[in-house]
Amino acid sequence: MDFDTAIRLTEILLGFAFAQQSIEHMVSFTNERRLFLARLLLAILLIIGFQTIWVTSLLLLFGLAILHRFQGPYNGGADRMSLLVLLCLWLTLIAPTRYWQEVAFGYLALQLILSYFISGWVKIVNPDWRSGRALCDVFQFSAYPVSKSLRRWAASPRLLFFMSWGVMLFELLFPFALLSTTSLYIALAITASFHFSNACFFGLNRFFWIWIAAYPALLWFQQRVFATL
Amino acid sequence: MLHTLKLLLPALLPSWNFFDVIAPSPRIQFALLNTKNETPQQWQTFRPRPDNITFKQMLTRMLWNPRWNESLFVMSCAERIIAQHTQPLVRQHSEDEILKRISQELSVTLSPEENYLQFRLELVQRQGEKLRHDIVFHSRIQAL
Repeated sequence: MDFDTAIRLTEILLGFAFAQQSIEHMVSFTNERRLFLARLLLAILLIIGFQTIWVTSLLLLFGLAILHRFQGPYNGGADRMSLLVLLCLWLTLIAPTRYWQEVAFGYLALQLILSYFISGWVKIVNPDWRSGRALCDVFQFSAYPVSKSLRRWAASPRLLFFMSWGVMLFELLFPFALLSTTSLYIALAITASFHFSNACFFGLNRFFWIWIAAYPALLWFQQRVFATL
Repeated sequence: MLHTLKLLLPALLPSWNFFDVIAPSPRIQFALLNTKNETPQQWQTFRPRPDNITFKQMLTRMLWNPRWNESLFVMSCAERIIAQHTQPLVRQHSEDEILKRISQELSVTLSPEENYLQFRLELVQRQGEKLRHDIVFHSRIQAL
């Protein structure tokens, strides 16, 4: 994927993710609605590609306002990833030279790789994850399962053991997907399915959209770095 | 401003340690009171989970999931209250947010004699093969 296409796609996907997040706040308190209505309008401008430097600058200010409003992220990791994608895109757009543009956009690609690799690493060093116990705990008593019937999965330790190892190994091996464009597309299809299942089981829908918004940066990065090797 | 910029740092340099350990999980329970001095007797779970969710509902929630995402935020507030290192102002903000959102949820079903609200946090964690439940926090009593 070439650089300009990747940036434009990131703008569209990020705008969509912000619009989806913002629309969910339209049923909340009045002051929250006002804040997110303005953000929704900016997200639409980002999707259509209007004055993207100004729009991303304003979205960053809104990002700070939202952090202040909720004294931290509203939606944990999804909000943090939203800010990371936005900041990297903004730095890419305002960077004075192509070199610095690529550094900013490459940082996003690097963080996306780390988001999988480190997640796998912190799990595999934990004996509870290696035994499948941790995933049992997630289903048994964590706040995430969206229904009571999902809690019953905790009674299938063998299944959760294989699921745990599947997730850990895939996350740890993810960087190897960068060796070819085809393997990267396959790996990203698998990670998107992983985020989709997390959205279904744990209600983490915002993670799905915002992680996908970072994929164009990785598709460009893979071609930029590995195609020349 | 400095505090807000500090909140931005984890986004710029993320730790990516999702689910590294499965921490004790808070549950929010609330009680409605007639008077400010009444001792709560009946605690109810805030937003209990449904028995089942259909695949169609899951697909809809990919795009429209405000109630669940608000519940996750309320849960974050509960975790901030429990965490040792939380600054008093943030702890106060979290308590306010939980009270505000429970009040809003109940506003249409309140009876005239229900004038006050209190919530408490129950911490659920695994101890050996069993689950342990501890009450770790009581909020202030708030007029509705």
